[in-house]
Amino acid sequence: MADAVLQARGLVKQYKRVRAVDGVDLDVAVGERVALLGPNGAGKTTTLLMLLGVVTPDHGWVEIAGHRLPKHRSQAAAEVGFAAGYLPLPERVRVREFLRMFGQLYGLADPMPEVERGLARFGIAELSEAMGNELSSGQRTLVGIIKATLHHPRLLILDEPTASLDPDVALRVRTGLEALCADEGTALLVTSHNMVEVGRLCERVVFISDGRVVANGTPASVAAEFGRDDLEGVFLHLAEGGR
Amino acid sequence: MSWLRIKAIARRQSYVVKRAPQRWFDVVVWPVVDAVLFGSIGVYFARSSAPRSHQLAYLLVGIVLFHVIFQAEVSLATGFLEETWSRNLLNLLVTPLREVEFVAGVVLFGTLKMVAAVSVVSGVAALAFAFHITDVGLGLIPLMAILVVVGWSLALVVIGIVLRVGQGADILTWGGIALLMPLSGVFYPVNALPGPLQPLAKVLPTTHVFAAARTVISGGSLPLGQVVVAAAGSVVLSALSVAFVLQMLATFRQRGYITRHT
Repeated sequence: MADAVLQARGLVKQYKRVRAVDGVDLDVAVGERVALLGPNGAGKTTTLLMLLGVVTPDHGWVEIAGHRLPKHRSQAAAEVGFAAGYLPLPERVRVREFLRMFGQLYGLADPMPEVERGLARFGIAELSEAMGNELSSGQRTLVGIIKATLHHPRLLILDEPTASLDPDVALRVRTGLEALCADEGTALLVTSHNMVEVGRLCERVVFISDGRVVANGTPASVAAEFGRDDLEGVFLHLAEGGR
Repeated sequence: MSWLRIKAIARRQSYVVKRAPQRWFDVVVWPVVDAVLFGSIGVYFARSSAPRSHQLAYLLVGIVLFHVIFQAEVSLATGFLEETWSRNLLNLLVTPLREVEFVAGVVLFGTLKMVAAVSVVSGVAALAFAFHITDVGLGLIPLMAILVVVGWSLALVVIGIVLRVGQGADILTWGGIALLMPLSGVFYPVNALPGPLQPLAKVLPTTHVFAAARTVISGGSLPLGQVVVAAAGSVVLSALSVAFVLQMLATFRQRGYITRHT
């Protein structure tokens, strides 16, 4: 892919007796919005962790914005933002302190203007002084996404960003992400169990089952390929062991 | 009161101890440390013909210098552990932050904490017992430097073990250094230790640091030979600890242990 911000080829990961990922190829183009889908245990999170350089693949390679992992992990990480719905904020740290630290880790000498812009974009400017343990799960998710976007990454990777969120907060997350992608041309790679949300947010979906890519295309084309009405139908089909 | 419910809770506690070897620290290691430490202090005082003022100074120079290694080790190890306790490790690992930058940042702040803590213990020793650690003279600088290097090395070993076996191993942050205290002869010469432990004590760089400090406090000059042995030992220990933590980090990435911390 000529304009790829992410390329992965032949990713394999074996955990003891379980082959979590079994030869996954994945591309994300500049500015593209892609969903990585599949039932629990399909290998999504392991794939994401390999893409992020946190887990070393047994086989295969990953390249982000032209930087090959693991040798150029630090340079690659500067081009990526990552947030997960399940990660808490540290206690005893205020939201602005947390965001300032991560802005600096991403190389921003003065991250506060970006911090304020991010808080405003996701409508939580009033939480700047709140402590990490005072936030609801939805607020934590929003702060996590702001953290991941302070440095204007070319690729934003989100693992279950709207898991267990109220519909109104999930809508705010989706709206903020759409605005971010439109304004800055950020590419998006997201995992989710909410197929409706995926259909609205992403232009391409990649389904994984038993560690392998079993479908790759637009939401409509993938649903049609499996003879289902929508992505929910494909998901249920795969979760029940179908191929 | 329900005997059934009481049994259920007791059984649940037994599962933890059974499957987490580090919990045996409370049952076995601490009692052994206490027995060896206080037993050896007793042996030393029973045998010692040194003046009372020297005996007091031995204890105080020991505790002040012990705080150097303790603070160096604990500040680096807990700096890492804080990120595991707050489940912030994954957030850090996906940033451009390099491992050496993380260690440098923790060490930078840890050094400030160490200076504060050592100042406090030195201040109390001076105010309450008229003992001045500066009486050790310029020799204090290399002795403290060796202890700091050993403290950081131990912290890297603890970090490596936590990366390998998980957060439960965090007790080693305090347990490892507690084991070192009696073995290094912090408060007494090595010959006060039980015989079988003496060869082990003699290969520890810390043992030579505390012995050198006692020599100076007794009015002797800094035993350079002992300082060189301690320095060489600390260099070897630091090289081994760096190699160990890098190996454990590679295993951590290879086996996907990050999922233990999310």
